[in-house]
Amino acid sequence: MAVHNGRAEFAAGTADAGDTIISVRHLSKKFGTHEVLKDIDFDVHKGDVTTVIGASGSGKSTLLRCINLLETPSSGQVLYHGDDVMGKDMNVPGYRSHVGMVFQSFNLFFNKNVLDNCMVGQIRVLKRPKEQAYEKALKYLGKVGMLPYIKAKPRQLSGGQKQRVAIARALAMDPEVLLFDEPTSALDPEMVGEVLDVMSDLAREGMTMIVVTHEMAFAKQVSSQVVYMSDGVICEQGRPEQIFGNPQNEKTKEFLARFLH
Amino acid sequence: MNQFAKLGTDIASLWAKYGGTYMGGIYRTLILATVGTAIGCLIGFLCGIVQTIPVYQNDSVIKKIILKIVKVILRIYVEVFRGTPMILQAVFIYYGLPYFSNNSIQFDGKWLVSIIVVSINTGAYMTESMRGGIISVDPGQTEGAMAIGMTHFQTMTSVVLPQAIRNIMPQIGNNFIINVKDTSVMFIIGFTDFFAVHKSVVGATFTYFPSAAIEMIGYLTMTLLASWLLHILEKKMDGKSDYELVAVDQLTLPAGVYHVGSGKSGKDLSSDERAVLQEEKARKTADKAIIAAERTADEDGKGVRRDGRT
Repeated sequence: MAVHNGRAEFAAGTADAGDTIISVRHLSKKFGTHEVLKDIDFDVHKGDVTTVIGASGSGKSTLLRCINLLETPSSGQVLYHGDDVMGKDMNVPGYRSHVGMVFQSFNLFFNKNVLDNCMVGQIRVLKRPKEQAYEKALKYLGKVGMLPYIKAKPRQLSGGQKQRVAIARALAMDPEVLLFDEPTSALDPEMVGEVLDVMSDLAREGMTMIVVTHEMAFAKQVSSQVVYMSDGVICEQGRPEQIFGNPQNEKTKEFLARFLH
Repeated sequence: MNQFAKLGTDIASLWAKYGGTYMGGIYRTLILATVGTAIGCLIGFLCGIVQTIPVYQNDSVIKKIILKIVKVILRIYVEVFRGTPMILQAVFIYYGLPYFSNNSIQFDGKWLVSIIVVSINTGAYMTESMRGGIISVDPGQTEGAMAIGMTHFQTMTSVVLPQAIRNIMPQIGNNFIINVKDTSVMFIIGFTDFFAVHKSVVGATFTYFPSAAIEMIGYLTMTLLASWLLHILEKKMDGKSDYELVAVDQLTLPAGVYHVGSGKSGKDLSSDERAVLQEEKARKTADKAIIAAERTADEDGKGVRRDGRT
């Protein structure tokens, strides 16, 4: 597969680059004349937990959606193990199955119960046998504490429960990277904790994640890399201690001052 | 009161003589409406699905052109058959095809033409209903499916169409009821449906009003029955409004009596599943402690946690 070739080439270059899963290069996105993302560059290595923070409308979600091509970037590249995901011979659905996504509005399939939500992708996309898909689904539903609800339909669950099922659905595909698009923003305050707990557990277990969030405590404690965005550009990126402890950029300072005090 | 009693006896005597004829008409009307609606729905589903195939920037030019042409043809089909009376469509097809083919295409029976006309007419309406049904499904559903790697085809068959079809069930019901009534225009090509029976009966007996009363009751019975059946079908599609908690209370039930679904008892659980359950149990206890702690925190300073969580 082309993906593996790309990976081998990278590994031959530098030891570090071999672990790079996703690289974003000069990414721009325009809606009409409105430029939402301008020349974005960053890398995600295996095991990284990258949190993207910034004010609403700064382009965080668009960036995430460009990474798995739910939005088509206007220019620039997204590289997956060195391969351009917008390239002619890239199998986009195949690529997406390696890059899981958890949405702000859950997007669970309304016509399926909790268990089927976690099985349908495995069976139809990954062509796993039913028994194997069933076991995988149970494993991850257990992990997010939703085992008792496998027969419930999404409409019958609370927001926090829906989001935990959505995480299990994404995990059941055994993705290499998980993208979280403001996973707790649509939740009532008392449900935020249960979702963040599950995400922290995943981070501890070494899952590679890109998290767009307004939960600063989560960004500070769990992430290995923080990206601060403002007006479609990355103002500052670095280790959480550095961004939260000693921000360099004026905009970052201002933003964090508003959030933390 | 006297008039009603008279009507009653008139209907009774009419029915005694022509009951079988009326029933034959009902039978033919129902068959034509059912088959026509079913085939029409099928046509509508297919056309509606094709109409909503998305075009992506990096699709090949040939694919774009073919799709465009097909969509235009379907558009014309919908506009023509929605925009002309079914009675004329029947005449056009019944007399038009032999006319243009120098009588090499001819229709032996009225059945085939009637079914074709009702089907393509219903199909035109259903195409639009289906398109509407597909559009009305939350775009988030499509995104959710695409994000786990589904192709457009998989997304449609697994996620969008089941929801779209559920949403247009009332439309299908509408079309069926309209067809039960409107198939009466097929008299123009000599199809003897329920209404045509009325005309032949009154031609012989001149009992216009009693026969019309029978027709009224007959049509109402058919349509009410249809609405009722569709209602039941819709309810069935929605499934149960409650759900079974697979494990009622993790803390009191020993793992042995836990069962998945109805067919699987605790004994059948694999050791993995048991481990998962144990984990779940531990988490529940932990969750409760966290929630309790957070409640106290919330009472200390409302809204603080949402913003800072520090």
